[in-house]
Amino acid sequence: MNKTTKWIVGIVVVVIIVFVGYYVSKGPSQPTSTEPIKIGVVAPFTGDAGALGENVKVAIEIARDEINQAGGVNGRDIQVIFEDGKCNGKDAANAATKLINIDKVLVVMGMCSAETLAIAPLAEQAKVLLISPSSTNAKVTTAGDYVFRFIPSDSFQGKFAADYLINTLGKKKIAILYSLNDWATGIKDVFKQRTEEIGGTIVGEEGYQQESRDLRSQIIKLKELNPDAIYFLGYTEATIVGLKQMQELGVTTTIFGGDAWDDPTIPQKAGAAANGARYSIAANQQLPQSFLDEMKKRPGGEAMNSYSPRAYDILKVLAGIISETGDNTDKIKNALYKLKDYQGIADKYSLDANGDIETANFTIKEMQDGVIVEL
Amino acid sequence: MAIFVLVNTNHYDIKKYYLLQNSMNIIPQLILNSIIAGALYSLIALGFNLIYGATKFFNLAHGVMAVVGAYTVFYFTKILSVDFYFSIVLAILLAGLVGYGLDKLIYLPLRRRKSSNMVLLVASLGVFTAIQAIIAMIFTSQFQTLSKNNTVQKTFEIAGGIITQTQLIIILSVILITVGLFILLYKTKLGKAVRAISDDENVAKIVGINTNKIIGYVFFIGSAIAGLAGILVGLDIGIQPTMGLGLLLKGVVAAVVGGMGNLYGGVLGSFLLGFVENFGIWKISGEWKDAIAFVLLIAFLIFRPKGIMNSTRD
Repeated sequence: MNKTTKWIVGIVVVVIIVFVGYYVSKGPSQPTSTEPIKIGVVAPFTGDAGALGENVKVAIEIARDEINQAGGVNGRDIQVIFEDGKCNGKDAANAATKLINIDKVLVVMGMCSAETLAIAPLAEQAKVLLISPSSTNAKVTTAGDYVFRFIPSDSFQGKFAADYLINTLGKKKIAILYSLNDWATGIKDVFKQRTEEIGGTIVGEEGYQQESRDLRSQIIKLKELNPDAIYFLGYTEATIVGLKQMQELGVTTTIFGGDAWDDPTIPQKAGAAANGARYSIAANQQLPQSFLDEMKKRPGGEAMNSYSPRAYDILKVLAGIISETGDNTDKIKNALYKLKDYQGIADKYSLDANGDIETANFTIKEMQDGVIVEL
Repeated sequence: MAIFVLVNTNHYDIKKYYLLQNSMNIIPQLILNSIIAGALYSLIALGFNLIYGATKFFNLAHGVMAVVGAYTVFYFTKILSVDFYFSIVLAILLAGLVGYGLDKLIYLPLRRRKSSNMVLLVASLGVFTAIQAIIAMIFTSQFQTLSKNNTVQKTFEIAGGIITQTQLIIILSVILITVGLFILLYKTKLGKAVRAISDDENVAKIVGINTNKIIGYVFFIGSAIAGLAGILVGLDIGIQPTMGLGLLLKGVVAAVVGGMGNLYGGVLGSFLLGFVENFGIWKISGEWKDAIAFVLLIAFLIFRPKGIMNSTRD
């Protein structure tokens, strides 16, 4: 490279930097009223719990399409940007950083508890709202002022599960098999505490890496403790494998799981190994037929889980609030804290001072011959 | 022993008795679990070491060959309804061909350009990511099962432990492939050439071996074995486009522990890893399983960096 080319390259670089800097700084300072309202979604689309994320995406797209077809929010379209958080904190934080800094979204939705908890400090710092349809970890309650969720906390679910296993089913000796992630460890802690309070015993607990697909040694250790029930907290993939390996290794005790089991692919793929396995999940109302039909029509929508209608509700709530407050984050935040008895398709939502929903209704579902049945 | 329990009504003693009894019952199954895990790691480590021996670069794309094999079977059996066993043969061949093609299209031109092994490593990482992404786009990233139907697998009881049919096949495959590779390497002309290249590629070239052709064959064989590994994992557990990384990691740990480029070292390393992992969590909680695997790796890197089989002198 001779001196002249160096100069030319230098000048080109400077010009590019100036132009980029000019437009980036100019961009957000002149929002026109026709610009779309951007909402980011961080959910697992690949890897663990990917099927849950795909399904939630379809529900959000339905809500978006309905809002936009009805004329949008104050004439502005809703634009939803989906990013893969892979159900872990690291990828979720990267995805959220991109959504907040580059896409300049108004709201981020987080799905897995690990995702939401990793995004919370970023959202808090950037003063971006973070709303989850599905993160049940108890820590989300105190994760920040800008953090909301439309599903009951595990501080209720863990208690509910312990009460159900010990008081309703009469199981006293419980073994726990859990995935090493925020969701499973969070619910496990509450469950353990409640179990001991009401006279049950935790005979053993075994953890496994979220991505692990060989749980045999953990299972055989728990089996030898002769528990009355195994509380198995895993995401879809490890659950399918774990249920099969339990069957192969001759485990015949009651198997009970948590809300992440609300994925129809589990009974489909685990087959007979999933028969009789039960789990607790936030109770949804009877969903409108039009929504169910629309979900079935779209690819990825058929395998419906309980989070999807809640994600749909969040977008509808937001559209309603933004149409009154405009895109001012703090005004939206204040309106969310005041949300009272909003009738969505999945639930009636009222948010408390922590941004949690006030009600906590759970139901028990069971896997039977390839399908999930509500008991 | 039953009397012992009846006499000692003390709760603590009963618990101790249970624990003692438990420890006895669990051992055969732990041994079997270790062997199953070791056999799976071996299938990856064998091909990985074969390729490393000939090329001396860390072929990260090796992990994705397992995914190629598994998804080919998935495609042929579940979508085209081709005969199950025929699809397996096709899948193994295809995984081998993909490996061969990658060598010819990517690694060979890079080697010709005298690129460093670091460049080849980065290239193979690119290949890994690209193929994984393509498979995820075609087949979605959902977890799938390969087994013919969802019914329970046939299980066998060996010395108080339970093993499934697929797991038996995995163990048999490892034995067959290890023996097969031994015959190939030590009884055939191709094997002699491969060993010559592993010793010193330049000298091999000088004595008239077409090294690039032989390395192509090595890629074919190594990748085909990885393809088989992917299929067997798919039958035993299930498949996902991201399954390659986990397999590769454990296979590489086994290869390093056993001795890089040393086939039998790789097998030994795999079984050592399997046993250490599964027996490691015998008395402590299962969450330590992966930590134990990597502690083993670090211990070897510090105290015996060339692995079990390779001598430490240079």
